[in-house]
Amino acid sequence: MDSRKHPTESSAPSERPPNDFFDPSKPQARRSMAFLALGALIGLGIAGYGLFTAKGTRSHTVPPEDLALINNRPILRSDFMTQVQTQFTVPFAQSTPDERKKVLEDMVAEELQVQRGLEIDLSSFDPDVRAAMVAGVQLEITADVMAQQPSEQQLRDYYAAHKDKYVGEGVLRMRDLVAKNGNALQAMTALRAGAPVEQIMQRYRLEDSGALMDSGHVDTGEIFEFAAKAKLGAAVYAAAALLHGGEISDPIQQSDGVHVVVMLEHRMPAQQDYATAADKVWTDYKSAAQTRVLEGNVAYLRSRADILLSDDARTLEARSQ
Amino acid sequence: MRQRRQAGIGAVLLIGALASGLTYWLHLRSLEATLVRAWPAELAHDPAIMRFAVSLARPIYAAHCASCHGADLRGNRTLGAPDLADVIWLYGDGGIGDIENTISYGIRSGHPKAHNVTDMPAEGRTHQLSAPEIDDVVEFVLNLSRQPHDELGAARGRKLFYDKGNCFDCHASDAMGNADYGSPALLGPTWNYGGDRQTLRQTIYNGRHGLCPAWINRLTPAQIRALAVYLYVESHPRVTLAQR
Repeated sequence: MDSRKHPTESSAPSERPPNDFFDPSKPQARRSMAFLALGALIGLGIAGYGLFTAKGTRSHTVPPEDLALINNRPILRSDFMTQVQTQFTVPFAQSTPDERKKVLEDMVAEELQVQRGLEIDLSSFDPDVRAAMVAGVQLEITADVMAQQPSEQQLRDYYAAHKDKYVGEGVLRMRDLVAKNGNALQAMTALRAGAPVEQIMQRYRLEDSGALMDSGHVDTGEIFEFAAKAKLGAAVYAAAALLHGGEISDPIQQSDGVHVVVMLEHRMPAQQDYATAADKVWTDYKSAAQTRVLEGNVAYLRSRADILLSDDARTLEARSQ
Repeated sequence: MRQRRQAGIGAVLLIGALASGLTYWLHLRSLEATLVRAWPAELAHDPAIMRFAVSLARPIYAAHCASCHGADLRGNRTLGAPDLADVIWLYGDGGIGDIENTISYGIRSGHPKAHNVTDMPAEGRTHQLSAPEIDDVVEFVLNLSRQPHDELGAARGRKLFYDKGNCFDCHASDAMGNADYGSPALLGPTWNYGGDRQTLRQTIYNGRHGLCPAWINRLTPAQIRALAVYLYVESHPRVTLAQR
């Protein structure tokens, strides 16, 4: 029976393969390719969506949260509303279209000018802009520290660790006399014996050093320790700092002669207790915290920066370390 | 044949599910765009968007805000996190725009646009007021908030409020607070940190410096707007979504 069949009839099924595209139990090359193509299309779609909607992507449409895009930089609706309220001191809902228009134009103008500033790299040469940028960055870095309030215990601990900072400034009245003729020792002895200063100056031909002058006259009024230190020079001040009122220093050899210090009155620097120094402790505590944060930030910025130093600059860097 | 039919049905269902998902996703994006594009006053007239905003905001609030302000929005006096479900707002008028601004940039958050005009000063620690003077101001505040108080102390505290303590400068002459500074009214019964004698004394002696982070770079604009709408709805009892 089979032998009587027409050859074409018996071979037809083998020439036309069965349509098993949708039969998951049988491997099918066309189906695999179709799924591959479908997957590629979906992938391309997702990638394209991400690419063309990512932040900073050039766009011809304004995102819904923005009121405008100025060279692709957004003006946020929320910022616009706040600006309208601030500029015209009215709730946004009550602002007029003219007021809104004015604010929008101002914000566009501001953005354009800021962009122009960036374009011409204003910060590279304008000291005011650089200072403003530095101040802004520092403010942002220290904002947390500025907002945090130290506890009473933290302040007391800081005071205990930095007690030397809370010493009241001493005040003194003194004469700084100079002997240029070898009479310093006799003058010192006479002064210590209680002879009047003017009389001894005349007798031993002593001069006032001129270090403590006020409008051309010898200043015998009260002067702070720090001012005396600056005016007298290290050696004379060191001797003066130890003297109490009524005491006379030993002779001090200096380039302009031998000095003798007559201490008329000396209120020595005194340690302030915590209650007296509390204001300054608070300020110093905050200031130290800010300094720590700023230094840490600069160290971090340096660590990630590419800084090339010349030979002489490298020498300077080594010195500072 | 049966297998082919099943596979065909599966493919149709898959494509249908994908199409439905895509449509739903596009619908959500469209709602979000409408939510952030609308001016706050317009939102009140669109109940569908308001409902969408509230549904969007609830999980965001639970994830980001509830740790300080509480799951029930009632605040946390230990942290000084204010009640977000009452009608009192420290900054602005409690409208959607003002709430959105606060969420975006925060309070003393370090963001240059944050609310950061002033702090509650430490009147005691800085010796602006002595301990007995602080006690007097406390009595005055207790008086203002209709709590038991010492009359003589309150009278002295009243003078300090307007004079040496300079309290009126931020809290206003009528003690109603100032929404530009974020200084609260002192009439109670709502308090950020507590209105009892001891807490008031602590507040005046050490000052207060509440913080709220800036969310502008952590949440999307739609999420921030949705949160603002949610808090607006929750804090305005007369605004109910069902009515709209």
